Amino acid sequence: MNASPPATKILLIGIGNSGRSDDALGWKFLDTFDAFPCWFDFEYRYQLQVEDAELISRYKKVIFVDASREVIKDGASLHACIPTPSASFTTHKLDPGTVLWLARELYTAQTEAYVMAIAGTEWELHHGLSTIARTNLQKALSLFLDFILHANLLQPKAEAVA
Amino acid sequence: MQKKITIDPVTRVEGHGRVTIHLDEYGKVEDSFFHIVEFRGFERFIQGHPYWEAPVLVQRLCGICPVSHHLAAAKAIDQLVGVDPEDLSPAAHKLRKLLHYGQIFQSHALHFFYLASPDLLFGVDAPVEKRNVFAVAIENKELARKGILMRKFGQEIIQAIAGKKIHGVAAVPGGMHKTLDAAEREYFLNGKDIPSIDTMIEWSQEIVDFIKGYHEKHRIMMDSFAEFPSGHLGMVDEQGNLELYHGKLRAIDGTGNITLPDVNTQDYQQYFAEGVERWSYMKFPYLKELGRENGWNRVGPLARINICNTIPTPLAEKERQAFIAFTGKKVNNSTLYSHWARLIEILHCAEVMRDLLHDDEIMSSDLVREGKPRLEGIGIIEAPRGTLTHHYQIDEKGMITRCNLIVSTTHNNEAMNRAVRWVANNVISQKGAITDGMLNQVEVAIRAYDPCLSCATQALGQMALQVELYNYEGELIDERITSGN
Repeated sequence: MNASPPATKILLIGIGNSGRSDDALGWKFLDTFDAFPCWFDFEYRYQLQVEDAELISRYKKVIFVDASREVIKDGASLHACIPTPSASFTTHKLDPGTVLWLARELYTAQTEAYVMAIAGTEWELHHGLSTIARTNLQKALSLFLDFILHANLLQPKAEAVA
Repeated sequence: MQKKITIDPVTRVEGHGRVTIHLDEYGKVEDSFFHIVEFRGFERFIQGHPYWEAPVLVQRLCGICPVSHHLAAAKAIDQLVGVDPEDLSPAAHKLRKLLHYGQIFQSHALHFFYLASPDLLFGVDAPVEKRNVFAVAIENKELARKGILMRKFGQEIIQAIAGKKIHGVAAVPGGMHKTLDAAEREYFLNGKDIPSIDTMIEWSQEIVDFIKGYHEKHRIMMDSFAEFPSGHLGMVDEQGNLELYHGKLRAIDGTGNITLPDVNTQDYQQYFAEGVERWSYMKFPYLKELGRENGWNRVGPLARINICNTIPTPLAEKERQAFIAFTGKKVNNSTLYSHWARLIEILHCAEVMRDLLHDDEIMSSDLVREGKPRLEGIGIIEAPRGTLTHHYQIDEKGMITRCNLIVSTTHNNEAMNRAVRWVANNVISQKGAITDGMLNQVEVAIRAYDPCLSCATQALGQMALQVELYNYEGELIDERITSGN
């Protein structure tokens, strides 16, 4: 259930499907941090939807984590999410930038969002990551830790540890 | 020169469909088809799995209405362990109903606010860049915010009972595996963290009032657009009232004559058959007695409002009466009235959820019953889009040997094809230039049925919709494709 989150918490949204090989990368990334609920909230998604705009509007910082079919130098990338309204044929599958745009438009949210993309290679029905994806997941974790430490995103205030 | 128009993919629907419209050399419509081109597979690959896996596996048909498949399968699997619907514990029955009505509430909210409202707010001829939820967000923020929170409320009901908003697990053979505790119940009642159930009722009433106002302003269009006689099928309780979880099947024809007189769901095979066409993976169910040509039925909100005697919650019943008084018809055969009917059901679902949330029995731990195992089970419910049938047979080891799914959208297959034909004949035929607004009206007709095309064919993979225009020599001369990626 969704009570209002502490202001210092970072929302991690993992996008993917654990039944489709490397598409599980977003969820696996989140699993790594589940021992640190004082700093992070976690949401697992198959796809982003319109109502996720309301969710992210309640956080100051959000990281979308998704597997990527693209070849990424260094296996993973982290970049700022740009709010963009983009309509696809369905409104059941939105880009992070579209969700961020909706959050700002509907809720005047000041949410700062980033997208972590992790390169995968296997997408068929299968449980478990490919060897390459496992390697890229480790690279993504290093990249993320460097980022949050460098940006001093983790603020151990009492309200966050409660 | 003869032409063929193709719309591919049809947008703002669940799944991948394609429309083709054939014009003769004078631009007159010769024929039209709504093709469903997704792969059909769940009925087959569930064979060989243990029966208790069915409610978990089959809900993967869909990310929008997995609860409906979960519960229809659960009703069937109950029977495999010897538990009929009336033998469930009161707590299990009420928790399933709460889950089910929460699912319909969120699904209807999604359809109206995200998929249908752009057509209603901006018009079917509006530029394509305005026909989406983002334009709604810009121009009617309050409506968009309420839509989001109504959908969220239903999803949170699902999460509270099933553990997850999508593909959770709530039902077990013979009952439920989890009850609600006092804190979970209070979350939906007190309005502290999310708007309360009373607010959901208030907003549901507001949106019903909105659609009534819309109909008053656009009466001629709403009355005439894709209006054609058809059968209507749905579920009613023992008194003939609207019932969405368990009851009897009733069908009427386009003038209100009973064609299926409140029969037990367990007997569905006596009454229904399914036809096939070479141009679509989606089947065409029909009443055997009336045959393939005359026995097809619409299902879903409009059909349910048409067939029921009353709605057993006061606010929704008042709105049903207003609906009937406005149309002045015993049976409404106008496609676009589906939106109004859907919103009456939203109000009904909110009222039922309120009553269930105030019922202490949803916190009881008496959740599972047992009986004498059987080899066959049939579960039928009213899903958001209409009557949904799950039928399983198992061997002595409990492995599934046969599965038959008649998904709501398949019942609407013939109706959607006729709606497309109506638009082709009345909007496109012999009009010279084919405009984007004309083609959008094809989609408006389909969208009113809220089809779930992936459910209807038990699809795998990515989805989208397509429209094509061909000349008399079979050459593609125009097409519209929306990527499913």
